[in-house]
Amino acid sequence: MSETVRIVERREVPTDAKMIHGLPDVGLVGVIAVSQIISQLKMVEVAYVDSDLLPPVIVLHEGLPHSPIRIFSNDNLLALISEIAIPAGSLQPLMRAIVNWMDEKGVETAISLGGIATPNRQNIESPKVYGVGSNEFSLKILREKGISVMERGFLVGPQALILQYCAEKNITAISLLAQAFYNYPDPEAAAAVIDTLNQIVKVPVNVSDLLEKGEEVRLRMRDIMRRTQSELVRMRKSQEYDIPHYYVA
Amino acid sequence: MRRRRSIFDIMREYMEEFERAAEEALSAFEQPSWDLETQSLQPLFNISVTAEEVVITADLPYADPKTLKIESVDEDLIEITAKMRVKLRFEDLGVSHREGEFSSFHCRVPLPVPVDASRAKASFKRGILEVRLPRRRGYKIKVE
Repeated sequence: MSETVRIVERREVPTDAKMIHGLPDVGLVGVIAVSQIISQLKMVEVAYVDSDLLPPVIVLHEGLPHSPIRIFSNDNLLALISEIAIPAGSLQPLMRAIVNWMDEKGVETAISLGGIATPNRQNIESPKVYGVGSNEFSLKILREKGISVMERGFLVGPQALILQYCAEKNITAISLLAQAFYNYPDPEAAAAVIDTLNQIVKVPVNVSDLLEKGEEVRLRMRDIMRRTQSELVRMRKSQEYDIPHYYVA
Repeated sequence: MRRRRSIFDIMREYMEEFERAAEEALSAFEQPSWDLETQSLQPLFNISVTAEEVVITADLPYADPKTLKIESVDEDLIEITAKMRVKLRFEDLGVSHREGEFSSFHCRVPLPVPVDASRAKASFKRGILEVRLPRRRGYKIKVE
């Protein structure tokens, strides 16, 4: 594990678990989805990330300090969530440490939930979800479940790094990316991504609740979206719009 | 003798200038996104410029569409306001150490290029306001 990032375990962590990730990115899709899953499944905190690479921030919950990046658990499911925008320059060491930790814990499948910025999002009634995999097995899962695979293009940000580092270690990792607003919190996209996640891992979560509270979620997520927006610029997120130039397979 | 600036010098200067401007723009985020005096929240907004128009969008959850106002403050500045259908207190958002409530959205959006406001169009869909302002046309140059 990288020296600059520590993952501190507070309770026993299940081994061979499936792990979902909700990290700030376009539309905060992953954060909204994973937050909904943690809250509805009443998952408990089992570990947290401690790093000098993060801003000097704590999050207060019921009067007590917590790390802004935490790992929750419920039976055989782990969930990683960040309550702050992660500085673009810290993403690589942080994601590498998280993947190393997943490797140590024998995480069976890692699934990152996120969004893919779609310029005409206002006109899309039901956001489509695309999948990306770290190895042939993850692509097989996606195809068997009828999830459209993103065959070519660029991915930028936390999901991209998790996929890359998992591919290096041959950990089965999947990214589920729903069509989303680039810089507005998108609960509808989060609901779409939860529905698709359910095809791979059964998470008994009611998405209608998320859709009903959509306006409240958008309002609550305004400030983290604003800060995430700055980090998206720093990480050159717009490169995802680029058309790939290569012809090689 | 003064050395002529290479294209790389010019590019580096341009990038430095751009980064300074970006930092300045980012520092604006270091203010709260709410104003207790006016009981208003600053919405998230976005500006994009195409060859034909300037497109401004703003995320306005809980906004009452009938109260939406888009007004020009200056030639290069427009103001967006809307009343919310509900009043929200800090407490409703889980914050117990602050007091105050909010009932509207308010923001001022700088226009990066001249526009023809008389041909502007606005729509409100899925809680997102979209304002399309055609760019002002200048002169035409005939190609010989």
